[in-house]
Order: sequence, then structure tokens, then C-alpha cells
Amino acid sequence: MAKLITAARQTKQEKEPALKGTLASVFLLGFFIIFSWVSVYFLFLHRL
Amino acid sequence: MAQPLEKVDHRDAKLALAHLFVAFTALALGGFAGLLQTLVRSGKFELPSGISYYTILTTHGVLLGLVLTTFFIIGFQFAAVSRTTGALSDGSRRTGWIGFWLMTIGTAMSAFFILTGKASVLYTFYAPLQAHAGFYIGLALVVVGSWVSGFAMFAHYARWRKTHRGQASPLLAFMSVTNMVLWLVCSLGVAATVVFQLIPWSLGLTDRVNVLLSRTLFWYFGHPLVYFWLLPAYMVWYAVIPKVIGGKMFSDSLARLAFILFLLFSIPVGFHHQLLEPGISPFWKYVQVVLTFMVIIPSLMTAFAMFATFESYGRSQGATGWFGWLRKLPWSDARFFAPFVGMLFFIPAGTGGIINASHQLNQVVHNTIWVTGHFHLTVATTVVLTFFGASYWLIPHLTGRVMTKAMNRLAIIQTIVWAVGMTFMSGSMHVAGLLGAPRRSAFSTYGNSPQALEWIPYQIAQAVGGTILFIGIILILVIVINLAFFAPKGETEFPVAEAAAPYERAALALENWKLWIGLVVALILIAYTVPIIDIIQNAPPGSKGYKLW
Ligand code: HEM
Ligand SMILES: [Cu+2]
Repeated sequence: MAKLITAARQTKQEKEPALKGTLASVFLLGFFIIFSWVSVYFLFLHRL
Repeated sequence: MAQPLEKVDHRDAKLALAHLFVAFTALALGGFAGLLQTLVRSGKFELPSGISYYTILTTHGVLLGLVLTTFFIIGFQFAAVSRTTGALSDGSRRTGWIGFWLMTIGTAMSAFFILTGKASVLYTFYAPLQAHAGFYIGLALVVVGSWVSGFAMFAHYARWRKTHRGQASPLLAFMSVTNMVLWLVCSLGVAATVVFQLIPWSLGLTDRVNVLLSRTLFWYFGHPLVYFWLLPAYMVWYAVIPKVIGGKMFSDSLARLAFILFLLFSIPVGFHHQLLEPGISPFWKYVQVVLTFMVIIPSLMTAFAMFATFESYGRSQGATGWFGWLRKLPWSDARFFAPFVGMLFFIPAGTGGIINASHQLNQVVHNTIWVTGHFHLTVATTVVLTFFGASYWLIPHLTGRVMTKAMNRLAIIQTIVWAVGMTFMSGSMHVAGLLGAPRRSAFSTYGNSPQALEWIPYQIAQAVGGTILFIGIILILVIVINLAFFAPKGETEFPVAEAAAPYERAALALENWKLWIGLVVALILIAYTVPIIDIIQNAPPGSKGYKLW
């Protein structure tokens, strides 16, 4: 098992791909979710 | 490791094709019903010769929500299991055919009672609306048939594991089994209400029915049902699309973990559909809403994995900058394009789901046509476009044909038509819903009340979208018929992706079914035991059946 873990670590260290587009995309996704949720929440408050 | 078989065994291919055939027949009929609905709701048309709107709506919901999905999924999974773990044994295949026929006979039976106007109870068949007993018996046969097929898959998987000790099973087989476990556990609920409550009551053996109990059992099934639809789409995204674009799967164990999390957290959450129902204590609603929100975790894991797969591939092709990888994706390949558009639509779809499940916000949208807009994004776009995208290789693979360039181009057009039509239809449903327009209503103008007239422009846009969508249905049927019967003979690949890191031992640890099923049962008992006892003990007298149509 230990051997397997080190093997896995090694392959990881070899080539950690640059994923900054992914980072940006998930942030945009998160902002979209929050924005939409808050919009409907304000509609809810407005109608109370 | 033994090289996995490249092709689905031809006898298994027949079994899978039989399922797809029923699925696309349901799409044709159900899509036509959908067109009629949007026309009626625009307030400008009426159905001829006394046909009830609710008969049409029941036809649409049952054929598309229940029949199209279940048949496509079981057919697809038989093919996926056979492709990745070898041909089914004769016994498993025979069991699969028994399941298919049970489901088909059940569907025909229910359809008969719907179309003859004896079961206009909508696809959720809520009591105290009461259909003809034949409708419920037909549904029960569909569920039992699906169990039989599920057991055929389990037996096949168990046999594979016995002969491959110490190996993680192929990803698609693992995912198919996870989805069938989910289905089996959740459909026990709907079977319970149908067999013990609704059938005796509709036969007149019992006089009254506990409405809240039957709705609770329905939603114990109804929410996991949407994950039963979604997980096969995720199978395509995780395990097929990377191969289609020429890249690698970002992580095999991440995919498996996401599936296990879906299995755990999609069942004990049905109360988020019953937030506005009296008779369930707020505490238990709260518990189930919290569990509902846990599902956001594997959903965002999936979003991350997709972005990462695409970006890794783009960069391996020399893409630079923040979003240069987008340009490297194979936009002119319908096998990629249709599911990709499905993924894009899942962004607003999933967001809408988080809104629906939030108790306060649910009061804004509950039973409005916003909800209909929501699930036409989730199931009728994300899932369906992914299934269409899968059909573009699955059907020719199974029939020994190839998709021509012309058909591929038509499939790209089909995807665009669907996306445009759905943007109109679902977009206006969302807005009209926020303005208060109810779902499931044959009326549109409500005697020209000023509030209802506010909704009309959106309902007209909805009809425009529905008409465009109907063109989309015609296009997909043309493509499917071509692929099944007329495309040139040849070999088509069943694409199965490889993981970027080949030896992920975590995969094996995730194959601990005793643990997962134990946890599933524990979560269900925690979330449901006390409220169900309460619903039974403190029940009002129960309701007689009503036939309001
Ligand atoms: C031509 C394409 C389609 C059109 C025009 C369409 C239109 C509609 C409309 C207008 C309604 C709601 C009416 C109301 O609440 O009064 C509806 C309901 C529904 N649709 Fe569709 N739809 C289409 C495709 C689909 C697909 C592909 C699916 C599933 C895979 C689907 C599943 C459903 C379900 C489950 C309902 C709920 C029925 C109910 O509330 O009882 N639809 N559809
Ligand atoms: Cu739900």
C-alpha cells in the first residue's frame, strides 16, 4: 500500500497540469449560483 | 489486466436496441403532447372534441418523464455493462428480456388507461385523484420489470468480480451498478404506495387513503428518480466524452466518489418537494433540506472534473491563456457538441434546484411554472441532449452502421434547435413562474384577471419555444431512424475513456458495497423513521377517491 501511495505521488509530481481556466470557470459558476439565489431571495423578502 | 472487449456482444446489442426503440417511440408521442400543451397555455388554442388538457399532460409526463428515461437508461446500461465487462451470460440476458417485456407490457397498459381518459392523474398520480386500477397495475409492472433488469446487471457484475479478484471494476460497470442500487432502493417507496395504498383503493377494496403517506412515499422515490435520470448522463460525461475529444479522464476515483455521494445523498431528501405541506414537522423538513444540500458537493466535483478534462486536453494540444483550451474542443462532432450543450444548460438548471430546495425561496416558486421550467432544463435538456449525443455512437455501434457527415451536421443543427427552443420555453416558464403563473393549469387567462394577463406574453413565448422544440423532436427522430435502419454499414466505436493516472487504488476501496448500502439505509432511517410514524399515527380519516376530469 505504501509503495502504491508513493507511486501515485510521483506520477502527480511529474506533471501537475496548469488548470487556471478551470479555476476561473468554477469561480464564475459559483458567482452565478450565488447571484441567482440572492436575486430570488430578495424577491422573497420584497413580497413578505 | 485483460483487454476489455471492444464491442457489445450482438445478442446484448439486440436487448439494448429493444429498449432504445421503446424510448424513442415515447419521445415521438410525448413530444407531440408537449406541443399541444404549449399551444393551449398560450390562451389562443383549444383542444378539439373535448380532449382534456390533463389527459394530454399525463401522457406527456408519463411518456417522457418515466418511459423515455427508464427505457433509455436500462438499454444504455446493458450496453455499457456488456461493453466493459464482457457479454452477458445467457441467464442474465434472458432475465434482461423478461424485464424488458414486463416494462413494455406495463407501459402499454398504463398508456391505454391514460389515453382512454381513465387516468388523467398526471405523472405524479397524487391521491386523492384516483385513476383506474389498470393504470397503477401497469406502473407496478414497469417498476418490477426494471428490478428484474437490475438483478440481471447485478448478477453479471458479481460474476465479473469473482473472476477478477483484486481489481477495480471498469468505471462504466461500477457506475451502472451504483445507479441500479439507487433505483432499487428508491423505487421500493413508490412500489409500496402503489401496491399497498393505491391499487386496493382504486379497486374499491379500501375506501379511504392516507394522502400524506402516499405523497411522502412518492417523493421518497421522486427525488432519487431525478438522479436515476442524471447519473447515466454523468456516465457519458465522465467515462465517454474524454475519449470522444481525444483526451483522458481527469480522475477515475473522483468519478467513483461522486457517484457514491450521489447514492448516499439523493434518497433521504424527498421532503424538499413537500416543504409547503402541513403534517410534516419543520424539524424534519430542515434535516432533509440539509441533506439535500450535500448533493451540491458531488455536483460541483463533476463540474470541476469536466472543466479540468477539457482544459487538460486543450493544453495538451498547445492551448494558451485562460480560456484558449475552449478553442481546441471538437465543436463539429455531434457526439461531443450535444452533451456539451447539455452541460452548459446544467448551470442554470442546478442553480434553480438550489433555489427550489431552499425553504423560503420554495415559497416563491412552489407549484408555479418556474418548476416546469426548471426540470425542462435538467431532464429535458441536460439529460436528454446527453442521451441524444450518446445515441449518435451507441445506435450505429449496436446496429453495425456508421453515422454519415450529413447526419452529423443534422445532429449539430438538432442541438442548436433544441437549445434555442428550450431557452425560449424554459426561460419564459421561469419568468412567468416568478410572476406567479401556476403549473399544471389548462387555464391561461383566468377570466382576463389583470394578474393573469401579465403572464400571457411569456406563455406565448413559451409556445414559440415549444414549437421550435417540436421541430427538434422531428430532427432527432429522423437521425435515430437513419442510424437504426438506413445509415451505411460499418464499424462504430463505443468510446470508453482512460484515466489520466492509470493505477488509482482508491477505486478498489470505493467498491465496498456493504458499507455504502449500510450507510444509505442508515441515512434513510434517520431522515424518515420518525416523520413516517408521525404521519401514520396522527393521520386524519383519509380521503375518498376523486375523478375530477
Ligand atoms: C417538444 C418538447 C417539449 C415541450 C414543448 C414540452 C412542454 C411542456 C409543457 C408546456 C409542460 C407543462 C404544462 C403545465 O404544467 O401545464 C410540460 C410538462 C412536463 N414535461 Fe415537457 N415538454 C417537452 C419535452 C419534454 C421532455 C423531453 C421531457 C422529459 C424528458 C419532458 C418532461 C415533462 C414533465 C415530466 C412534465 C410534467 C408534467 C406534469 O406536471 O404533470 N418534457 N412539458
Ligand atoms: Cu428533488
